[in-house]
Amino acid sequence: MNGARYLKHRRHLILLIIILLGANGAFSQTVNPLAADPRAARAGGGIFRAQCASCHGADAKGIDIIDAPDLTLIWTRVEATDQAVFQVIRSGIPGSIMPPHGFPDPEIWMLVSYLRSVAVTGTSKQIVGNSTRGSELFQGNCSLCHRVDGSGGSLGPDLTAITARRTQAALTDSIRNPSANIARRYKPVSLLTDANERVRGAIKSEDAFSIQVMDSNQVLRGFSKSALRELNRDEPSLMPAFSERQLSETDVNDILSFLQSVR
Amino acid sequence: MKQLLIRVLLISVSLVSWPTFIQAQDADGPTFEDILRGFEDPSRWLTYSGDYSGRRHSPLTQITTDNVDQLRPAWTFQTGTTTRGRGFETTPLLDDGVLYVTGSNNYAWAIDARSGRSFWQYRRNLPDDLTYGASAPVNRGFGMLGNQLFMVTLDAHLMSFDRRTGDVIWERELADYQVGYSSTMAPLVLDNKVIVGISGGEYQTRGFIDAFDPVLGERIWRFNTIPGPGETGSETWPDDPAILAGGGGGTWMNGSYDADLNLIYWGIGNPNPDYYDENRPGDNLYTDSIVALDANTGEMRWHYQFTPHDVNDWDSNHMPVLANIEWQGQPRRVVMVGNRNGFFYVLDRVTGEFLLGEPFTATTWAREIGADGRPIVVNDGSLGCLPDPWGSTNFYPPTFFPGLDLFILTARETCAIYVPEEPANTRGQANFGGTVFIDSEQGYGALRALDVHSGELEWEFTYPSPSFGGVMSTASGLVFAGDHEGNFMAFDAASGENLWHYQTGSRIWGAAAITYMLDGVQYVLIPSGTTLMAFAL
Ligand code: HEC
Ligand code: HEC
Repeated sequence: MNGARYLKHRRHLILLIIILLGANGAFSQTVNPLAADPRAARAGGGIFRAQCASCHGADAKGIDIIDAPDLTLIWTRVEATDQAVFQVIRSGIPGSIMPPHGFPDPEIWMLVSYLRSVAVTGTSKQIVGNSTRGSELFQGNCSLCHRVDGSGGSLGPDLTAITARRTQAALTDSIRNPSANIARRYKPVSLLTDANERVRGAIKSEDAFSIQVMDSNQVLRGFSKSALRELNRDEPSLMPAFSERQLSETDVNDILSFLQSVR
Repeated sequence: MKQLLIRVLLISVSLVSWPTFIQAQDADGPTFEDILRGFEDPSRWLTYSGDYSGRRHSPLTQITTDNVDQLRPAWTFQTGTTTRGRGFETTPLLDDGVLYVTGSNNYAWAIDARSGRSFWQYRRNLPDDLTYGASAPVNRGFGMLGNQLFMVTLDAHLMSFDRRTGDVIWERELADYQVGYSSTMAPLVLDNKVIVGISGGEYQTRGFIDAFDPVLGERIWRFNTIPGPGETGSETWPDDPAILAGGGGGTWMNGSYDADLNLIYWGIGNPNPDYYDENRPGDNLYTDSIVALDANTGEMRWHYQFTPHDVNDWDSNHMPVLANIEWQGQPRRVVMVGNRNGFFYVLDRVTGEFLLGEPFTATTWAREIGADGRPIVVNDGSLGCLPDPWGSTNFYPPTFFPGLDLFILTARETCAIYVPEEPANTRGQANFGGTVFIDSEQGYGALRALDVHSGELEWEFTYPSPSFGGVMSTASGLVFAGDHEGNFMAFDAASGENLWHYQTGSRIWGAAAITYMLDGVQYVLIPSGTTLMAFAL
């Protein structure tokens, strides 16, 4: 993303110069003028399918093999403003295949509206629960593997802003049935080394000859495939499933309320 | 002291045999006859595939199946120009110890083939409103003749350089880039002709193959890949000049050449729009075809269409591979193509007669090519997923291993659902006409060796993800290939056993290796990411 950041800095400089000169034409709009118009996102969807989907995917979730990022996640980043996204679409990202787009301004704003409309939906409502109790439950059951607000383990993803990205129902589902949907850099694997050591961990990377994992002790380890007796991917998630017996509905809501409170 | 010695030596040499001295220094650069001799001089690599056959099979034997595990990096050249999302797709040319290399974003260099140090760098000032060129800012290499180099550009120009300085000699516009044209291929240099193709089949463009005079920079002929109204082939399109004028059919890979027949063989890309077909009923010739053109006139001798009426973006921009093989007891001059649609083809290259078409991936699109040479389509996409738009293989070079009679290529196993949608047909804007849902969980890649007589799989080596790496082979029984995870690898051509690998740190995309001998050392080169890497024992 260096290119984007560089561009943004340069744009800011240009913006400043334009404002100083009092010639605030093209760059004067910093908020989406079409934000209130529900038709904008629909029209933007049409443009997106025609001009962007070949790289970012029909669902805007990105295509890995060509480095085209998941655009449904961009708004979870603090620096992603309407204006910044507008500029990236307008100018492209030099040094990459992300091209500039010479569309008229309103069409780019429609694309911004569309990208807003497909942003991952988080939990907008206040979750009803006891966050103090949730914090304790989290320390006891989850923090071994998950970081929140700077502390905790790393086997699973950082959950600090997770309620901004996923709904309460989806999060509850992840806790009850973690194997149903396992994110890319957390795919489980079980290895048996030449020295007869059994290693369970999450696959971070892999090629035809080697595999890189974080093992269940949260140590990063690389293995040559030729030095493995077994390599089994057919495994349940590294996260244990928490049934009603282990964590009641109230417990789960308390934990989620705690996670929401640390956003 | 040393210099003095050299000077004395030079004088004495020049006194004795002035003409040989000139030749040894190669001051005039390679001729057409030199290129025609292909691999005879292993200290040269004068055209994209090493020779005109497209086989990418070198006669070198210093590196063998026994010692290849001792291959080590010799040097690395850093280009400093990136195309995240694509690759460093070039094939360097080599003459007289100097490599001539094109890079992403229309950079180019002359590099010392022994040390990896550069003599000069060129960088084109590209307009900031590139169309197709901005979404694929790559280049596949120079063409060379005498002291001239030829390179095409992302704003659809053809340029000639002085190879000693990198100075521009002349520059011609091929087409208007603002419509959607671009150019990325490596020019094919013949006798007093530079043949180039065009990209932009995703836009409202009409593909062509052009021949230019290398000295004057004047166009000699143009072959349009989409017929004009009333011309032969136009009956496979609706009777509408506007549709023909934007029918697509890019020509963005270079072709091969048979000097005896004086024919060039060239692959043609997809029809426009890619997925939406309601405005273009018919076979849509000459999209997704191979054409054989008279090199002097550009007239078409024959064509064969791999994917009639394509709705999946399965361009046929592949390097056609020429070989003389025994076919059912008879010697036959054939051309072979591993196609994006998932089939391996053998055609008679004199007549274009269809000889063989067999699937090399698990594609469900068609399982058979009928006796008439047309695919028997069993799944138009309504019965489950098809190969993705990048296809079952792509433009990256395959290799043909004579003797073993193996066609070795990088195959992609993918799964995609196509959803067509009427496009806007706007000048300068991509015109796919729909979207594609790719199930990335199901994808993988493989290096596959096919028996050219049957199309049967002889061996394979699988990669974790669908790969875009090219292939080269050497007479010592080796196959060199690259994958999407960044490994550069050597295999036993007969068995497919992996003998060596080196993690280059970036995907190998669109590029295939070259090899040459200098000072008694065999080098193997591969572009990867932002680097060109040389290996030797
Ligand atoms: C040819 C492929 C391609 C096309 C077409 C394309 N993109 Fe991109 N886009 C990329 C790639 C690759 C990146 C990441 C570049 C990088 O980070 O180096 C990117 C990055 C972006 C980003 C920045 C994402 C972030 O994480 O900050 C946005 C926003 C974006 N694209 C929107 C669009 C929109 C909207 C369109 C259509 C108008 C579009 N792109 C068309 C390939 C493409
Ligand atoms: C033994 C380690 C471990 C423990 C303990 C653990 N998790 Fe996880 N968790 C993971 C891993 C690994 C993943 C990623 C793989 C997956 O999604 O199954 C994950 C994924 C998740 C996700 C999905 C995150 C996303 O980005 O969508 C949520 C939510 C989650 N865990 C919540 C919890 C909560 C709440 C607890 C405690 C009740 C907990 N986890 C306990 C390892 C653990």
